[in-house]
Amino acid sequence: METKNGNQSKINPENKSIKITIILPTHAYFLSGIRDFTLNLIKNMTDFSEQWAYRFQSVVDELCNNAIEHGSDPGEEIIISFNTNPHESIEINVEDTGTAKIHLKASEINAIVEERRSTAYTNKGIRGRGLSKIVAEWSDELEFIDVPANGGIRVRVKKYLNDPKFKETLPSHDPTHLILN
Amino acid sequence: MTQINITIEDIAVAEGTKIAKLVKFQGQLDESNVDEKAKLIYAIIEQNAANLFLLMDFEELEYMNSKSIGYLTDWYGKISEGNGKIVITKAKNNILDILEVVGLTQLISCYPTLDEAKFALLSK
Repeated sequence: METKNGNQSKINPENKSIKITIILPTHAYFLSGIRDFTLNLIKNMTDFSEQWAYRFQSVVDELCNNAIEHGSDPGEEIIISFNTNPHESIEINVEDTGTAKIHLKASEINAIVEERRSTAYTNKGIRGRGLSKIVAEWSDELEFIDVPANGGIRVRVKKYLNDPKFKETLPSHDPTHLILN
Repeated sequence: MTQINITIEDIAVAEGTKIAKLVKFQGQLDESNVDEKAKLIYAIIEQNAANLFLLMDFEELEYMNSKSIGYLTDWYGKISEGNGKIVITKAKNNILDILEVVGLTQLISCYPTLDEAKFALLSK
C-alpha cells in the first residue's frame, strides 16, 4: 500500500507497529512539549489527517492533565505511550502512580464519564469536559483500567483510521453536546 | 509556564450604555497558565457588571484546553446575566473543532472576520 507520508516508509519500511513511551514528572509545565510531540507524531507517522492530529493533541493533553491532577502526586510521574499501527489505528495510554490524595478506582471514573456523556447531564461548572466530551468524542475505544501493582489508573484510548464513525468534517450538531446554563 | 499573552482594548460604541472590549489571545491556554490568566477577564466582568460586550480575537490562539473552555462558558453566563454578549472571531480550525465538540458554538457565535464579529456583537 502506498503510504500517505514518506516519513513512514523511511522510518518504518516494514510497516510494523511502533511504540513510544514517555515518562514525565507530575507537572503541567511539560505538557506543551507533549502536545507538540503528539501533533508531529500523528502528522508524520500515521495516515490520520491534520485535523485528527490536532484532535489527538487535545486528547493527550486532557488525559495527562487528568493523571497529573487526580492520579500522581507532585514529585511523582505519569507514563504516556503511543502505539501506532500503520494504516490502521493509534492507541494512546496514560498511566498514573495512584499516589494522589483523592484517588478514584477505574470503575468510579468510568461512571463519572458516562454520567457526563448523558443527554440528561448539564455541566454548569468550569471543569469536567475533558474526558467526557473531548476524549470520549474523539476516540473509538476509551477504557479505564486499575493498575494493581501501584494502585494507579491507566486510561486507554484507541482510534481506528478506517472506521464508520471516522469523519473528516467538524462534528455535526448533536443535542448531547448542548451546554445549558 | 506555557506562553500566553492577553491584550485588552476598548471598542468605540455609539450607544453610551454599552461597554465593549476587544480581547486578543496570543499563544496557548493550558493547565499551566489558564487559572492565572482567567483572572484578567473576571476583573473586566467585575468592573462592568452590566452591558458588557466582549469580542474574543482567537486569531493567534494556538491551543485551548477544556478548563479554558469552562472559563469561557462561565464568562458567557456572567456576561449574559448582565445583558451583555460574547462573540469569537478568527478562531483557527483546531480551536473551532474543540469549541464544536463541547457544544460551545451553540452558545457563543464564531465569526471569520473582525468586522463581522463587531457587527454581530453590537447589534443586539
